[in-house]
Amino acid sequence: MSEQVKIEQEQKSNVSAKDNILLEVKNLKKYYPVTAGFFKRKVGDVKAVDDISITLKRGETFGLVGESGCGKSTTGRTILRLTDATDGQILFEGKDITKLKGSSLRKFRRNIQMVFQDPYASLNSKMMVGRIVDEPIRNFTRQTSKELEPEVKALLSKVGLREEDYYKYPHEFSGGQRQRIGIARALALQPKLVIADEPVSALDVSIQSQVLNLLKEMQTEFELTYLFIAHDLSVVKHMSDRIGVMYLGNMVEVGDNNAIYKEPLHPYTKALTSAIPEPDPLKKKERIILEGDVPSPQNPPSGCVFHTRCPAAMPECKKVIPQLKEVRSKHKVACLLYD
Amino acid sequence: MEPTVQTNIKKQQKFDSTWTIARKKFMKRKLAMISLGFLLFIIFVSFIAPYVTSDDVTRIDMQNINQEPSSEHWLGTDRNGRDVFTRTLYGGRVSLTIGLTSMFFVTLIGSTVGSIAGYYGGWVDNLLMRFTDFILTLPFMVFVIVLNAILIGMGKVTGMWSLIIVFSLLGWGGVARIVRGKILSEKENEYVLAARSIGCRPSQTIIKHLLPNVMTTIIVQATLLLAAYIVAEAGLSFIGIGVPVEIPSWGNMLMEARQTDVLQNKPWIWVPPAVCITLTILSINFVGEGLKDAFDPKTTK
Repeated sequence: MSEQVKIEQEQKSNVSAKDNILLEVKNLKKYYPVTAGFFKRKVGDVKAVDDISITLKRGETFGLVGESGCGKSTTGRTILRLTDATDGQILFEGKDITKLKGSSLRKFRRNIQMVFQDPYASLNSKMMVGRIVDEPIRNFTRQTSKELEPEVKALLSKVGLREEDYYKYPHEFSGGQRQRIGIARALALQPKLVIADEPVSALDVSIQSQVLNLLKEMQTEFELTYLFIAHDLSVVKHMSDRIGVMYLGNMVEVGDNNAIYKEPLHPYTKALTSAIPEPDPLKKKERIILEGDVPSPQNPPSGCVFHTRCPAAMPECKKVIPQLKEVRSKHKVACLLYD
Repeated sequence: MEPTVQTNIKKQQKFDSTWTIARKKFMKRKLAMISLGFLLFIIFVSFIAPYVTSDDVTRIDMQNINQEPSSEHWLGTDRNGRDVFTRTLYGGRVSLTIGLTSMFFVTLIGSTVGSIAGYYGGWVDNLLMRFTDFILTLPFMVFVIVLNAILIGMGKVTGMWSLIIVFSLLGWGGVARIVRGKILSEKENEYVLAARSIGCRPSQTIIKHLLPNVMTTIIVQATLLLAAYIVAEAGLSFIGIGVPVEIPSWGNMLMEARQTDVLQNKPWIWVPPAVCITLTILSINFVGEGLKDAFDPKTTK
């Protein structure tokens, strides 16, 4: 922890580096209380996100990977302030947004937008595409739909839809096209940060790459910063500059794209990367298969949360909670093997 | 070859919206369509009553009491010499106005309470739903009688409007519960999160995003309520505590049938309103059923 604070302090002392940082998440925690009985007595917490720190530089794509239920979506939603953090700080351009409320929160929302996972559930089926896309702008300006029509149509053609699609309804589109509408909606306000919560996991593989490439094109065009959440490692590899690996609400490894894939340090990351299919059939790869299931986040294992499934677990892993430490340059890992 | 394949695909991609599908399904149901036609006819005729007949509904004509149907009085006259046909039309006006207006207010109050409770959840939900439970536990009949008497006693509202107010105040509990349940399940969809993330106010999220998506349930519920309130008005008026006697309503007219002589020997006095009530309620229920099926994605026909 002290190491991490030191690094953060170094970053703060360096003014240019600080300007360059768009989002800083410090020790974010999100616990969901578990209640029992008639009086809703609190019997414990589901630690969906347990002490996570992320720093996002302007213009980069930070990929967040992990199994389902490891808290990556919760992290995204908490940063977006769709759910309130239990503890920790979210700094956006140096401003603490963790405690924003009411109209100041509403006004802040134009800075961060989200692309949702399910293109079918994330669009209101009773609204015309034009209204879906211009609604965010109408929420922040006094402009009417009619005034915004040319702008929205231009945006639609930018995301690969036709101008006529303005008058259609979501059910007239395929999944990939719907996701394009979702992207257009997220970009309508020209946000600084876009949180993409598994934007392609509900789509056909053939469509996935189209949507991913669209996201990349839009990043250059609108100078966006992405927090890219996914469970598919090849997708994250394709998209991200830096990657954070999550396990059971904890960040176990953070590093550059290449570093994570070429030389993963944490045993969990090693197991994950060994599962990426290799296109070259002649290349032999050793597949690390993890035993057992993910433990319940309501009752996480003591010490290192991964020790129950870790092939390299040592006796002390049960007792000592490993901290995220910079082991190589710009490559942090939370594992006692590297102490 | 290529272009034709393209156009075929384009044609297949034309889907219908929920409303179009529902309309098409509804139109295929003969019973529901006939009922709808009858209902519109009854409503139309009742509301243009002053242009259909020139008789004064309130005028008592002692020289022409209890007359059988004739060319002058198409459905005869009652024991005060008033024209039954005219009274049936005007009665329909009162009964339908009470039904439609009560339905409107009940749906309005119920949807508002239900959607606020469902959207906010937590203590707001608890508070509103316990209040709803309280309203639902009130014995309907007793309260209608008492409140109606109080309102009429205050003398500021006429009989018809006091009944509407009482119905609206006591009836919204069921709608509120149903709408709350629907909103609870609907708000789990990501588009609600999306609405919040693009900076929609809670009221905006409820009105523009959630309510249109639960509208089908509300519409079906409203049709059934319409039938219930027409019956309630008729019932109350029949036992003499609904609309005051001097205002004709279908229930009021049935009241005459409480006399054995009228019931046995003068059917023209009570059969017309009875038939009107029965057919109207039947067609409302058929329309309601038709709507329910039309909005149900599981039915294909």
